[in-house]
Amino acid sequence: MSVIVCGQKRAEHPFYLEGLGINIYSCQELCYVVYHHPLMFLDGIMDQNLVNFIRNEFDMGFVAARVEQRIKSGEKQEDILLFFMQECNYYTTAELNKLRQTMMSLKRLTVFEYAKRKADYLVQFKQYGRAIAAYEEILEQRDQRADDQFVSRVLNNLGACYARIFQFRKAMEAYDKAYEKRKDLGTLERMYHLTLLDPGLALKDRYQSTVSGELMERWKKDFEKAGESAKEAEEVKKIKVLFEKDSVRRMEGAEQLVEEWKKEYRRMA
Amino acid sequence: MDGLILGFDLCDAYTQLVCNQGEKSWTLPTVICRKKEEESWMVGEPAYASALAGNGVMVDKLVKLVIKDGTSTIGGIRYGGAQLLVQFLIQVAALAKKEYNTDEIKQIVFSVPRIDTRLLACLTSCGDYLGMSGKDIHVISHTEGFMYYVLSQKREVWNNQVGMFDLSGEGLCYYEMKVQRGLRQTTVMAEKERLEEGFSLDILNSAAGRKMGDRILCSCGSRMLQKKLFSSIFLMGKGFEERDWAEGFMKLVCNRRRVYVETELFAKGAAYRAVDLLREKSAYPYVCICEGRLDSSVSMRVLYKDQDNQLMLANAGVSWYEAAKEVELILDGQDYLEFIITPPDQRKKKTVKMALEGFPKREEKTLRVLLQIGFLDERTMTVTVTDQGFGELFPSTGAVLRQEVML
Repeated sequence: MSVIVCGQKRAEHPFYLEGLGINIYSCQELCYVVYHHPLMFLDGIMDQNLVNFIRNEFDMGFVAARVEQRIKSGEKQEDILLFFMQECNYYTTAELNKLRQTMMSLKRLTVFEYAKRKADYLVQFKQYGRAIAAYEEILEQRDQRADDQFVSRVLNNLGACYARIFQFRKAMEAYDKAYEKRKDLGTLERMYHLTLLDPGLALKDRYQSTVSGELMERWKKDFEKAGESAKEAEEVKKIKVLFEKDSVRRMEGAEQLVEEWKKEYRRMA
Repeated sequence: MDGLILGFDLCDAYTQLVCNQGEKSWTLPTVICRKKEEESWMVGEPAYASALAGNGVMVDKLVKLVIKDGTSTIGGIRYGGAQLLVQFLIQVAALAKKEYNTDEIKQIVFSVPRIDTRLLACLTSCGDYLGMSGKDIHVISHTEGFMYYVLSQKREVWNNQVGMFDLSGEGLCYYEMKVQRGLRQTTVMAEKERLEEGFSLDILNSAAGRKMGDRILCSCGSRMLQKKLFSSIFLMGKGFEERDWAEGFMKLVCNRRRVYVETELFAKGAAYRAVDLLREKSAYPYVCICEGRLDSSVSMRVLYKDQDNQLMLANAGVSWYEAAKEVELILDGQDYLEFIITPPDQRKKKTVKMALEGFPKREEKTLRVLLQIGFLDERTMTVTVTDQGFGELFPSTGAVLRQEVML
C-alpha cells in the first residue's frame, strides 16, 4: 500500500498507441500499458517519435536525452523501456524486475506463439481487423513447428474476430477449419450460435450426428439467456432513456450514438 | 521614489499607516463619511467634522461591518461593508501618495486584530482600487505584527521572552514572544491573550478611575510576568501614550527589564514585513508560529524510488490563508489518504485517515486523484479529493470528496 506523487506534466497532445488503439496522456499511463502488455512494445516502440513526445509533452528532457543515447548505442528495447519506467517512479524495482522476467520469457516463445499472443492482445483492445490480419499471417506462414492444436486455437480466435465484426459466414468457415484440426465441442457450440445469429447459415450435415437434439436445446437456452442478460446492459439502458426523450432530443442523441457506433466499428474493423 | 511600502494597523476604532519603515506615519479613526448630495468621501477627523456639521453621513466600525457582511445606506445608495472599507483605504493611502508625490504602491501589509476570511477577501481584492497587484497585498495578525516588530530590533531586545501590554479603546491584551533555538532552525512563537480586566480609557479622566486603572494593570502585570525571564517589555496603545496615571504598574514592569513604549507597533511590524516580502531572501529566517500562521505541519507518506518519503503539504509557520496546495497522487492498493499532523511538540504527532468513499475500485495503481488542501483558519484544513481518471484506460467518474480536518 502506498501513494505515488505524479510529478511529471500531463501531455496536452497525446501519443496514439496504434497497437492498443488508445491515447496516452501521462508517463504513468505509458508505464502501465507497457507493464500490462509488454508484448506490444518489445518490437520497437521506443523510437524518435516517442522520445520527442517524452521530451516535449512530459517535460522530461533529461530522461529523453538518455533514452535517445541508449537507442543510438543499439541497446535492447526492453532495457530502454525498463530504464524509462524506472525514471518515472511509478513501478517499484521489484515490479520492474518481474516485468524484466516476463519480457525475457516472451522473447523465448516460438515465432508463431509470439505472433499469436500479439494478435490476442489486439483482440483484447477490440482491434479485430488488425487481429484478423495477424492470425491470417500466422496461418499463411505456419510450418511444422505449428501443430494442429495450435492451428486450431488460431482458427478459433480468427472465427471469434469475424463474428465480432458481424462477418458470420467467414466466422463459420474459420470455426469449421478449427474443428477439423481439433474436435472440440466448444467450437461446434459457437458454430451453432452463428446459425442462430444468421438464419442463412446452417450446421454442416456431418456435424448433425455429433450434436444431439438435447445438446442443441441446451445451447439454444444458453444463447437466449445471453440475449436476455444483454438487454440489461448499460448501453441498452441508455438507448431506452434516449427513447423517452422528446423527438428533437431523441434524434440528436440517436445521431450522436450512431456516429459513436460507426467510429467504434471502423476502429474494430 | 520607487513606490510606497505601506504597513497598516487596521482596527475598528483606529487605523495607523506607516510608510517606508516608519519614515512617516498617520493615525486616524476608522470612520468614513460621504457628503449627502454627492459621492465625495472623507476619512478620519474630517469625517467626524463633516458629520457633526450635518453635511454628510458617517459610518464607523468598518472592520466589523465587513466581517458581518453588513451594509450601510447613504443618500439612497446601499453600500456593502467591503465597499466602504475599500473606499476608506483608498482615502488613507492617498495621504501617503500625496506626501511622497507618487501613485505607485509596491507592497502593503495589513495588521489586523483577527484574521477573518471575509476581511481577508476584502483586503486582498482592493489592489485594483489602489493601483497595484493583489499579490502584493498581505494580511497578518496583530500577534504577527508584534513578532516582526520585535524581531526587527536589536537581538538583545529578544534574547529571552518579550512581553507586551496593549491598552486601547478595544480593550487590554497581553502578547508574549519566545524564541526556541534549535540546531537546524530557530522557532519564534508568539501568543496573544485578551485580558478580561480590560477597561474603557474614559475612566482615566478621573483621579479615582486612574487609580483603579493602575491597580488593574498591576494585578494583570504581576500575573502575566511572574517568575519569567524577560528581555524586554513593550507598552502599546493609546492607553500608554501618557503613563503618569500608572505609577504602580510602571514600577512593576520596569523592575530589571527594558521597557519600551511604542504606539505604532503593529503598523510598524506590518511595514517591516512588507519590506521583507520584497527581499529575495527573508531577513527573518525563522519558523514563526503565531495567530494567522499554522502551528502544525501537514505531510503525507509517499513512495519515491522504493523508499518511504514525506510529502510536505503545509509547513508550520506559513500563513494559513496562503498555505493552499494541490498535488496529483496515485493510490496503490489503498482506498484512503492519511495525513500526518506534526505540532511543535513532536510527541503529539497524529495521523488522520480520510476514506475515499464513493470512489471507484480500480486496478492497482490506476486510481489517480487530485488532492487540494486549503485552510479556513489555523486549526481547520479543508481537503478536496477529485477522481482524475487514468487516461482513456479508466476515464474519470467525477467522484469528489470534501472534508474538513482539524489539526
